[in-house]
Amino acid sequence: MIFGRLLRKAITGISFVLWLGSVALAAVDALPAPWTVDALVALLKEQREPSMAFEEATYSSFLTEPLIVRGLLRFAPPATMEKAITDPFRERYVIEGERVLFESERKGIKRTISLEDYPALRGFVDAFRASFTGDAVQLQKVYAVTLEGTRRQWTLLLRPRDTTGQSMVDYILFTGSEGRVATIAIRSPDGDRSVMTLLHGAAR
Amino acid sequence: MIRRFGVVGLWALAMAYGLWLVAAQVSVHSELADLLPEGTTATQRLLLTQVRTGVAGRLMLLAIEGGDPDDLAQASREFGQQLRATGHFNVIGNGALALSKQDQELLFRSRYLLSRQVTPEAFSVESLRHALEQRLDDLRSPLASMIKETIPGDPTGAFLGILKDWSGQEGPAKHRGVWMSEDHSKALLIAETKATGFDADAQATIQQDIRKTFEALPDRPASLRVVMSGPGVFAVEIKQTIEAEIWWLSTAASTLVVLLLYASYRSVTLVLLSVIPLSTGIIAGVLAVNSWFGFIHGITLGFGITLLGIVDDYPIHLFSHLNERGSAPAVIRAIWPTMRLGVLTTVIGFSSLLLSGFPALAQLGLFAVVGLVTAALVTRYVLPVCVPPAFVPREVPQAIVPAVAQLTRAKWLVPGAIVLATFMLLWSDTPLWQTDLASLSPVSEARKRLDEQLRHDLGAPDVRDLLVIEGETAEDVLQRGEAVMSQLEQLRAGELVAGYDLVSSYLPSRRSQQARQQALPERSVLEHNLQTALSGLPFAPGLFTPFLDSIDAARTQPMIDRDTFKSTAVGLKLASLLIEQQGQWSAVVPLRGVADRARLGEIVEGWHVPGVAYVDLKEESNRLMTAYRDRTLAIVAWGLLVIAAVLAVGLKSISLLRPVLLPMMSALVVVVALVNAAGESLSLFHVATFLLVIGLGLDYALFFNRPEGTGEERARTLYGLLVCSATTILVFGVLACSKIPVLHAIGMTAAIGSFCCLLFAGMMADEEAHADA
Repeated sequence: MIFGRLLRKAITGISFVLWLGSVALAAVDALPAPWTVDALVALLKEQREPSMAFEEATYSSFLTEPLIVRGLLRFAPPATMEKAITDPFRERYVIEGERVLFESERKGIKRTISLEDYPALRGFVDAFRASFTGDAVQLQKVYAVTLEGTRRQWTLLLRPRDTTGQSMVDYILFTGSEGRVATIAIRSPDGDRSVMTLLHGAAR
Repeated sequence: MIRRFGVVGLWALAMAYGLWLVAAQVSVHSELADLLPEGTTATQRLLLTQVRTGVAGRLMLLAIEGGDPDDLAQASREFGQQLRATGHFNVIGNGALALSKQDQELLFRSRYLLSRQVTPEAFSVESLRHALEQRLDDLRSPLASMIKETIPGDPTGAFLGILKDWSGQEGPAKHRGVWMSEDHSKALLIAETKATGFDADAQATIQQDIRKTFEALPDRPASLRVVMSGPGVFAVEIKQTIEAEIWWLSTAASTLVVLLLYASYRSVTLVLLSVIPLSTGIIAGVLAVNSWFGFIHGITLGFGITLLGIVDDYPIHLFSHLNERGSAPAVIRAIWPTMRLGVLTTVIGFSSLLLSGFPALAQLGLFAVVGLVTAALVTRYVLPVCVPPAFVPREVPQAIVPAVAQLTRAKWLVPGAIVLATFMLLWSDTPLWQTDLASLSPVSEARKRLDEQLRHDLGAPDVRDLLVIEGETAEDVLQRGEAVMSQLEQLRAGELVAGYDLVSSYLPSRRSQQARQQALPERSVLEHNLQTALSGLPFAPGLFTPFLDSIDAARTQPMIDRDTFKSTAVGLKLASLLIEQQGQWSAVVPLRGVADRARLGEIVEGWHVPGVAYVDLKEESNRLMTAYRDRTLAIVAWGLLVIAAVLAVGLKSISLLRPVLLPMMSALVVVVALVNAAGESLSLFHVATFLLVIGLGLDYALFFNRPEGTGEERARTLYGLLVCSATTILVFGVLACSKIPVLHAIGMTAAIGSFCCLLFAGMMADEEAHADA
């Protein structure tokens, strides 16, 4: 709990600094092109790399320290997305259209589930997929979207519109610069969070 | 004079009292179930109970159609929620939510008794370590927030394991989290009503509420429709059909009889006088059935009006013999012996219905027997004193006597017709016997097709294939259920059955529960193992105290049984799967999608588990129908013998038997051929009507062959006979138009039969008998 409060403070502090930074940058930004959600997702799609390494930290009130996993995110247009965890264990989620292939070495499971059965999962998938495929319409259908900052330093805040989504996710927060996502934080209603940091150009 | 008023007064009093009883006490039922047999063996009774009150009987299949899949899914979600709130249902399944909060809490509390994972090894350091690592993975998974809250109390995942087992069977295809047909044209829902499927009144209310709820759905696109099917929907349709039919059948029949009587005699007095025995007979019939069975069925009432067409024979016989010379009391005394014999044979005919043992037919039989006897007695003792002293019906055409006599020339037609009928039967493509109990149901073909389609889409069990597990106690049954569980699973893996619903999948036997309790470690042991397993893992300290508490509690937790879940959705499901009947316990296991019934039967027999049997309900109920039919056939044969004996005594002559009995027998053969040629197979109801045909026909033959004095008297007799048979054929003809299979079969058989009897009796009338007279 104390830990959680500290974190929250830290986050507030960081966001404040970020905000200050973006205000300062906005002041010097000479480009007049309007900075909108459409512009952002278009840029994300344009500058998307076929695969990116990531590091993800899960913070939970059940845990004394965050759980860290590392792996790769891969994209294959139009709608296939893969999250492969490589360290400390191997696990894969391959999302193809409406189906999700789940493969876990440790649990010895390989099965395909339908997104229809997991409305909660669908929320994440929509957020990721729509953001990285330039589908601003879909994104705004599922989430209330708030874009702040500038092209150089932006934050994209997603809040689920329907109650099923809200029961699973408080918000999803993307941060980044230009067409590159730096972090994706997912906060659940009980305060637990996961933060994924993307390492651009590091994956092959 | 005084005696006359006395009789009429008594009759009027009795009628008034009878009418009051009818208004005050008679209860009319329209549920088909009330007419179905109870079954003769314990298994049959169990099965019939299962059909009527079991879960399969309470399933309602719903579909929303007429929109794009997204709209359908949205509507299905909201519809499901609203329907759950109506309180009519145990369960509403639309793919979205299976168990209520209350059920989930109960399951969570009982997880260590219910879970198959509970073994002594499950709480070793290694097992715990493995489970804890998995929980860490869970926390990292995208679905963490769905299962997180169960982790502190249930790190071994017993609860989630139970949920997974329970949801085991695969449902229909899904779209946006709710069930859809393969082509996504229909959103599918399945509802289990609290009321039984045969409770038509309750079902009608439920269906109304369903429609209202659907109409009131917010933001529902106007193009969306809801369709329903299932036993409850059928019951309502059947009830409505029966009620509508009774109304039009009785209106049509009584109007026709009155018109025909008036047209034949052109006398309002005669029509009014005829009403006396008719109304008395019908009221007596209604009261008799109600006091014997406790209710009268709508179908019996509908059939009761045919009594009009038979009972009116008695007053007509009386009027036919009235002339200027004889007063009514004198005439009735003269014709009473013949009439009495006719009544007796007709009553024997109807008692075949009574004795068939089939409740539907027994009601009809009792109604007819009481109605007939009453009407005959009223004709004998009340009617004559009511006839105005100078009343003489109009002259009848004398030409009728030679015209009828001409018929006897066509005598050779009778054997000709029999030969023809025999050949027709031999070459017919229509099977002779109808053994399907489904033929009893007046449900329309379109309805049946919709039901089949929805069942297929939903993968819902049809009310046909069952595994029955019997035992002395609930515990016996549950243990046997556990014994066959793995075999059933094999059958499913081998695709011999698509799915099953076994009580032991939900409720373990006490033996299993005890074994599980004994497998739970003491707190100190568990705490030690857990601490060891936790070393090096980043779980917050004290996180698993709820787990330690739960195991501690579970070690001394009272055993769960069927009653633990009372009044929850799970409880109602258990109550329908595990049944107590007369101190005997049975588990009923509905099977879905049975691929090969013969093989399944063999395999189940090969298990050699005592008390376990596979039952094909359709087969079983058809066997029941066949048994009733054979019994009725035997009754018909015995009835014939009895009638022959009665006739021989009544006519005081064996030689007269031939012209009286032969026309009936010939008529029966022709009736069978004609019914068959009309594309109908003979059912129990046709067969039961045979004896009725015989009884009716004998009445005609008796009067045809009655020694008469003058030509004028003979003309009156014949004319009366024609009117009698015309009304009889008419009312049975009306009945034959009914959409209710029972009434249709009886009507058709009796109408054709009485026509043939009349014709043949005329053709084969014994001329010498008249010559002698």
